Amino acid sequence: MPELLEVRDVWKRFKIPHERRTTVLDHIAGAASVIGGARHSYEEFWALREVNLALRAQESVGLIGPNGSGKSTLLKLIAHVMKPDKGKVVVNGSLAPVLELGIGFSGDLTVRENAIVYGVIMGISRAQMRDRLHLILEFAGLERFQDALLRNLSTGMQVRLAFSIAVETDADIFLVDEALSVGDQAFQEKCLERFREFKRQGKSIVLVSHDMQLIKTFCESALYLQSGTEKAYGPSEEITQKYIEASQGPANSNR
Amino acid sequence: MTLTLELETCGGGAVRSGFMHYLDVTLILAQKDFKLRYRNSVLGFFWSLLNPLAYMIVLTIVYMMLMRVNIPNFAAWVLIGLLIWRFFTVGTSQGLICIVSNPSLVTKVYMPRYLIVLSSSLANLLGAVLEFAIFIPLLILLGVIPGVVLLFLPVIILLEFLIVFGCSLSLAPLNAKYRDFSQIWEVVLQLGFFLCPIVYDEQLVPARFRFAYSLNPISRLMESARDIFLHQQLPTTFDIGIVCIAVTILILIGAAIFHLLEPKLAEEL
Repeated sequence: MPELLEVRDVWKRFKIPHERRTTVLDHIAGAASVIGGARHSYEEFWALREVNLALRAQESVGLIGPNGSGKSTLLKLIAHVMKPDKGKVVVNGSLAPVLELGIGFSGDLTVRENAIVYGVIMGISRAQMRDRLHLILEFAGLERFQDALLRNLSTGMQVRLAFSIAVETDADIFLVDEALSVGDQAFQEKCLERFREFKRQGKSIVLVSHDMQLIKTFCESALYLQSGTEKAYGPSEEITQKYIEASQGPANSNR
Repeated sequence: MTLTLELETCGGGAVRSGFMHYLDVTLILAQKDFKLRYRNSVLGFFWSLLNPLAYMIVLTIVYMMLMRVNIPNFAAWVLIGLLIWRFFTVGTSQGLICIVSNPSLVTKVYMPRYLIVLSSSLANLLGAVLEFAIFIPLLILLGVIPGVVLLFLPVIILLEFLIVFGCSLSLAPLNAKYRDFSQIWEVVLQLGFFLCPIVYDEQLVPARFRFAYSLNPISRLMESARDIFLHQQLPTTFDIGIVCIAVTILILIGAAIFHLLEPKLAEEL
């Protein structure tokens, strides 16, 4: 039985445009030299180094670590939105798109139109989408606003809509990036219920979150990233504990 | 083991992979593009008719009355050129920004990215078809005799669609990487307006430049459309041949550039 998802020795590099400006004069000179055809040097930045991950069917994994540790980059590589510079990402199943804030609706279209566009992009057929639309809007609690322009909705409401569409897809793996933290308590509870249902159906979730309780509840394993490298990888119980200790340690000793 | 793996979707991608899904996505994105363009305006689609209409009136007054140009049925002649020109400029200008203005389609979900470009070109094809459809009665009013050759018009519009798509394939990823391409393209289009026989007759071009001049596929499309409307003639083999060669070259170049820049697109946005 092949792994559902395998990330094998993945490296990802970004290039950061780099201008050496240390003094105020440098800044002025730098601004001038940009106009006069500046030389751009680049700094290499390894967002991910030698990262491994394996996920069997029906299992879920949590990605944890401080901001900028490469969690979202890894999620994008799993989603095939970006390609690794080295290594391989193999997915033996269907993926739902990355679920995160600002999923990219069009503010000038109505709630209903946006729902249909994004449902179709996420892999639901247009005919199915017409049938399921009322379910989606009901789950999101947005039936009353279906003909309102999306830009008139609050951020939380937009995330609710995105989430409600995404959970209607029949993917094997769901990629979730901090999407839950925006909805209100009642909606979060609804989402968690839907996640539990996914788990019962044997679907997998790759969950990026700073909520260790959430990771422990839903994920069998966790990958703790720090500066793009694996700091710890194993059962979620143990790894979240490590992360909590690591993030509390220096803070406490400072006091 | 209750979970069945969908083997045909191996290697990632959306849930319902395959042709039907991509067709659905392309059509829904084209529809969205089209809707968005005319949203929030009272006259909606009719604004897009105002532009060629105003140009036609102004150009007719300037050229017929002030410069006394000797082209029979000048108003219809200039309108046909304008409609062809508009499809090209509006189509490529929107193709240029279609990736930059839809970053979430690139960074949030994996799908073949050329579908974004294709849907933008399709939205413009729909716009062009509607514009021609609405202006045909006006052309008839201006003295154009509708003949059987009018049935050839869809071929011309389709060829122009392929040109727009080919250009957009190059322009959209280039503009994502180098944002100055929108400025560059604007200048190219401004020059292009005068490199095409929109406001002057092709015959005025000096004979030694005539051949090089006649290789411009947009000019060939204009002359072809004028043959159909004004002379009730099929376009010449030369005209259609040049356009077909241009379509092939533009799509090949577009595919090559797109293929080259596509892997890094998500990082440029």
